[in-house]
Amino acid sequence: MKRTTKRLCYMAVLTAVALTVFIIEAQIPLAAPVPGMKLGLANIVTVYAMFRLGPRDTLLILAARILLGSMFAGGFSAMLYSLAGGLMCYLVMLLLRKCLTEKQIWVASVAGAMSHCIGQILVAVLMAGTWRIAFYLPVLLAAAIPAGAFTGLCAQFLNQKLRSFSFEG
Amino acid sequence: MKTKTWVLLIAAVFAVLCGVSFALYHIRPQSTVANVYQDGVCILSIDLSAVAGTETYTVTDEDGHENTIEVENGRIRISEANCPDQVCVDTGWISGSLKPIVCLPVRLVIQIESDPATEALNLDAVSG
Amino acid sequence: MKRLFPILLTVCLSLALAACAAEQGTAVTETAEDEAVSVQVFAMDTYIDLTAYGPNAEAALDEIAGEIETLDGLLSVTDENSEVYALNHADGAAVSVSETTRSLIAFTQTLSAQCGGALDISVYPLALAWGFTTEDYRVPTDAGIADLLALVDESQIVVDDEAGTVTLPAGMEIDLGAVGKGYACDLAREILAEYGVEHALLNFGSSTICLYGDKPDGSRWRVAVQDPEDDSTYAGILELEGCVVDTSGGYERYFTDEDGTVYWHILDPETGRPADSGLISATIVSESGLNGDALSTACFVMGLDKSIDYWRTYGGFEFVFITEAHEIYVSEGIADSFTPVYDYEDAEITVVSQ
Repeated sequence: MKRTTKRLCYMAVLTAVALTVFIIEAQIPLAAPVPGMKLGLANIVTVYAMFRLGPRDTLLILAARILLGSMFAGGFSAMLYSLAGGLMCYLVMLLLRKCLTEKQIWVASVAGAMSHCIGQILVAVLMAGTWRIAFYLPVLLAAAIPAGAFTGLCAQFLNQKLRSFSFEG
Repeated sequence: MKTKTWVLLIAAVFAVLCGVSFALYHIRPQSTVANVYQDGVCILSIDLSAVAGTETYTVTDEDGHENTIEVENGRIRISEANCPDQVCVDTGWISGSLKPIVCLPVRLVIQIESDPATEALNLDAVSG
Repeated sequence: MKRLFPILLTVCLSLALAACAAEQGTAVTETAEDEAVSVQVFAMDTYIDLTAYGPNAEAALDEIAGEIETLDGLLSVTDENSEVYALNHADGAAVSVSETTRSLIAFTQTLSAQCGGALDISVYPLALAWGFTTEDYRVPTDAGIADLLALVDESQIVVDDEAGTVTLPAGMEIDLGAVGKGYACDLAREILAEYGVEHALLNFGSSTICLYGDKPDGSRWRVAVQDPEDDSTYAGILELEGCVVDTSGGYERYFTDEDGTVYWHILDPETGRPADSGLISATIVSESGLNGDALSTACFVMGLDKSIDYWRTYGGFEFVFITEAHEIYVSEGIADSFTPVYDYEDAEITVVSQ
């Protein structure tokens, strides 16, 4: 697929936005009962891009955000977690994309947030070498639902508001 | 699918997850895990709270050292060793995370990950 | 609607700039702040567990581990290349040794004189005779003890700083084990300070514990004092920061003969037999690891009254003593930091004041 300059710019801006939100969120300490719990605001961009720009460009934005994000805040292990979570989330949204309408974007976000947790727990289990950590999974999944719904609704709102904006020429 | 169906589906999943989390939080077993390290590498991990009766493990190294580890519910010891000093055997049973069993000649360490008593007192170290 | 996008863009990009600025200031150190690094070392006849927090923790601990191994190489009584081994086998000749070894010997000489010989590094041949070093335990004969005792008197060691030598009387052998860990502790504290590490817990086989700074969350470290009568439980808890905690007790290494008599590894240089002073556990809390390490042994040998006299005369440390009679004596400086637990919850506690 050949991308127009405008589209490329748009992708770059979205990556910057995602990165900004990601880093800002990482700065805000959240009094979470379980370590690793967070709102996942950067996901707004991923969800939005998935429905607006399509899977290919979304993957690029996501990968750029994760790589740059873990360079700025976190490190190698943080990148592994982000990568596993991000890819799981991406795959699930990819599957759901076709069977959702524009008013159901938030559903993809909920499913994405949940699979994000599963991906991260998988990495945690592998890294710590004990399946015991999986005990956290139900709590994380439950928390992922409202968080995912919130970010999804944000993405949906963004999609509606930016409908008239064209990046194709 | 209609939006309403999605809402109901997600609400149902949410309810189930909340229930499971709640149940897990309350029945979470007080487990005590002992790790056996040889030269700093964890070679054995035993859930002491899941042991019924007595179990034994034998750890050997290239130099012909042999340490027999005995495990009972909630505690662990080195019952036999052919090391020159017998400090590891003399240490006896341990059940707390702050005092490891150490066999210096074999560079073997048995360390309990966490235990209810230490956690209750929120201890960082034991002086003794 | 077309207006919204540029506005959104401007907001996000300015936030991005703000985030980058914040990143350089506090964020990086904040994430690294709580990260604990642990290093374990088998040295000084024990298992040493070092934990430090913060960005330079790993580098600092690596250097400390190296220093400990170097020190072990100087002070080991069994390593044939060590300075202490050379001294013990010099047969009365002067041996040129490092400044570290000289200063440690000089330190124990001063302390030994202050506490009336309760600590004496030249008691080592007796420890050998009792088999405490090899775990080949036996009770030596009275004559055997008397013979060896004749050689115990570290005040006869000549430390010559100008020539850089130490001379032991022929037949005398020393073991700096009573101060080695404490000295290592002090070295470690200097290295931690150099690297700007603010929180660390250095555990030298439980007997010497260095609490460097406070805990990363700002609270004080909680260190249990082992119950001298039951090694699976605790006698009390100390809440402290920025100090070295050192406990000596008979339970660390002991054996029981056929009659059921218990002999432990801390020998009284006066009698050549296991110290029987009425104290079963002596914990010293001190700024200096060297002082704490040496004094916990000395106090265990001196017993309650002499130890308190020593403290009143020289000061510079705090203590928790546990007696055979199940009583606890705490110096006033740490009385508020000590909480008895379990078997000692109802024990009689005496706060000792200057």
